Amino acid sequence: MIIGLIGVIALVATNALFLIWMERKVSAHMQLRLGPMEVGPHGAVQTVADALKLMGKELITPEEVDRPVYWLAPIVIFLPVLLAFLVIPFSRSLIIKDMNVGIVLILAFSTLTVLALLMAGWSSNNKYSAFGAIRAVAQNVAYEIPLLITVMSVILMVGSFKLSDIVAAQGSYWFVLVQPLAFILFITCATAETNRNPFDLPEAESELVAGFHTEYTGMRFAMFFLAEYTNMFITSAVAAVLFLGGWRGPILPGVVWFLLKVYALIFLMMWFRWTFPRVRFDQLITVAWKVLIPLAFANLLITALVLKLR
Amino acid sequence: MIEIGIEEKTYTLNLGPQHPSTHGVLRVLLEMDGEYITKAEPVIGYGHRGHEHMAENRNYQQFLPNMGRVDYLHALAYNQGYCMAVEKLVGLTVPERGEFIRVILSELNRISSHLVWIGAYLLDLGAFTPILYAFDDREHILDLLDRITGSRLTYCFYRFGGAPRDLDEEFITGVRAFIKRLRSRFRDYESLVTKNAIFINRTRDVGVITRDQAVKYGLTGPTLRGSGIAYDIRKSEPYSAYPAFDFQIPIGEKGDVFDRYLVRILEMEQSLRIIEQALNQLPNGPIMADKVPKRLKPAAGEVYQAVESARGEFGCYIVSQGDIKPYRIKLRVPSFGNLSILPEVAVDTLVADLVAILGSVDVVIPEIDR
Amino acid sequence: MLKDKLKAALAPLNLAQVSDGDYAKTGYHLEVAAGPEQMPAVAQAMLDQGCFLESFTAVDLRESFTLVYHFASFDELCRTVVHASLMKETKEAKGAQAPTISRVYPGADWYEREVYDLFGIKFAGHPNLKRLLLPEDADFHPLLKDFGAEPGND
Repeated sequence: MIIGLIGVIALVATNALFLIWMERKVSAHMQLRLGPMEVGPHGAVQTVADALKLMGKELITPEEVDRPVYWLAPIVIFLPVLLAFLVIPFSRSLIIKDMNVGIVLILAFSTLTVLALLMAGWSSNNKYSAFGAIRAVAQNVAYEIPLLITVMSVILMVGSFKLSDIVAAQGSYWFVLVQPLAFILFITCATAETNRNPFDLPEAESELVAGFHTEYTGMRFAMFFLAEYTNMFITSAVAAVLFLGGWRGPILPGVVWFLLKVYALIFLMMWFRWTFPRVRFDQLITVAWKVLIPLAFANLLITALVLKLR
Repeated sequence: MIEIGIEEKTYTLNLGPQHPSTHGVLRVLLEMDGEYITKAEPVIGYGHRGHEHMAENRNYQQFLPNMGRVDYLHALAYNQGYCMAVEKLVGLTVPERGEFIRVILSELNRISSHLVWIGAYLLDLGAFTPILYAFDDREHILDLLDRITGSRLTYCFYRFGGAPRDLDEEFITGVRAFIKRLRSRFRDYESLVTKNAIFINRTRDVGVITRDQAVKYGLTGPTLRGSGIAYDIRKSEPYSAYPAFDFQIPIGEKGDVFDRYLVRILEMEQSLRIIEQALNQLPNGPIMADKVPKRLKPAAGEVYQAVESARGEFGCYIVSQGDIKPYRIKLRVPSFGNLSILPEVAVDTLVADLVAILGSVDVVIPEIDR
Repeated sequence: MLKDKLKAALAPLNLAQVSDGDYAKTGYHLEVAAGPEQMPAVAQAMLDQGCFLESFTAVDLRESFTLVYHFASFDELCRTVVHASLMKETKEAKGAQAPTISRVYPGADWYEREVYDLFGIKFAGHPNLKRLLLPEDADFHPLLKDFGAEPGND
């Protein structure tokens, strides 16, 4: 278990480094530029250099902030995401702890990030940050519901919350083929849950400067970004497990297939970011409550019906 | 007028003066009720450099470079307006080739200004990629204009009586190649932006400006034409070589943000048409009027000359008292009137809408502040 | 013809001058001279004919000011200039004063603030006569002809 935890921390760090480089390269090529090229071959070492620079920055704490909450927020956003790694099946045997309530654990922990955003935005004592935090809470709560209902559709088909069971049940065909709507809904909600464009209103703002992390500098700022990329990994991993057959695949070892699927989904999320403009806040909430929830419910009902009739 | 700290239900939020979306140093004082704006008051003057005062202390030639700094995005139109006003005062006629050169360069500049606008506007809305595509296209224009005028941004090219340098073959081939390239790029813009559902949702039925408001606030340019009024100085009060060309004035229907966006896209296509026709019909001959006096001393009188810049009507009002220095120059800039409508249009909108509306009005703050 | 309609609309106001302009030389189709106190009525007449306020500024002629209003129309080409001569000081009011036309043309709000800022001319009835371009606490009006005459002021 301890080895597993150390492995997880190592994975999270390397993953974040890799994803930041991947994002910069993907965005660059989509924008007809090259991205980092100087530091290391094709800029591969650039993120390490940036991380070292960030570690050297001064940790400024503005005077009027709510200190305990302000200091805790970056930690609270990071810890649950780390813990969610405990149940992800990287291959048939590579699971740290195959719990009976695996999927529920992940979903519960990923909800805690909202608390961290609220803590960060509120404690900063800054109107823009408060705005960002309020929007983040509304957005995450609204998109959590269709996410959960979509996951329920898949669980209905499998009959168990254990992640290894879900992968095992996709022996003959991947669930994306029988639940395409659920897959699309899940990806949409996942993009909203991780605060990525086109749903990135709480953060990268041309309206609110920098949203809930306006007042954070240096390593604390880095923690928020680390958490975002790790969150992307977790949600893509869950999507891969639920819909794309987890580590299943011919010839190559399970781990390789799993990572390929996860990074393909992350690439998709990055593609969204560099293509679409931002949705307006009221439109965002409208889509969640008036479109996605009814669709998710419909999907659940149809799944239940089909299973009953079989 | 916003009184800070008196209302209990509303609070004050400051947009700017340093802000990614205000296109220059603009401050908008917002009184907000939750996420909705109850009052918006633009505060300008952060970039006031006193151009009109400078005009009274320089002679007419010395004031020429100032015009490029008033609106740096469509500097050649301002050059043209000022030169034409002075030429009217003095009684100079620009030869035909000179007028054609002025039109070609000004229209190229108009396209580059609209490209900057598209890129910056979509960046405000959260789309990070179109700005790089637009700037890529703009680089070609800047290279072409750099060949002839020597500058990339704040041009000071036209002289009283014509243009100082002629176009060469390489420029003309370059422009023709660029026209072909930009036409193919319009398809990209259309699929990436114009038909994008998120973009349409953000811009349709937002910031509607009625005809009545347009008349009362004196709006001009694409901001006006989005509301369905076909007023373009190039057609309504033709000047220079524009009567020789066949082009249309795109107008919108509803007067919302989307219409103003579409008008600018279509205007770029029309500018390409004008440039094409100008290149095909380019006459031979001199580019400068002969006998332009070295020291201009216009007779006493006043003159008003209007030209159509990318943002609307630029008017140059000169009062001369027979001296080598102008007595008074008033620069009537389109963004001044266009921005003054913001307090009326921004009521009961969200901050995100305010950003969309402000961007669609296409203001360049230095020209407001002068 | 818009010019004739404007002439007809301005006739009952008893203005000092309403004549044709030399368009080729000055860019005006119609030249009007009025008193500053007649301006709100002139503005209303122009608005009723569908004209918009193209520009508004002032010129410092040392002994007096001239307020210069430019009107144009979206539908037909007809530029009207209205010159209103303003005394620099009267017995009643110290400093130049003119009535505002912002009740008729809300767009004139900012133009009048700019003229106040640069010339010091006050506009009676203006809803918000604050400085526009210069800082609020500035104590000079830079476009006056005697600004900069003192050393250290240029």
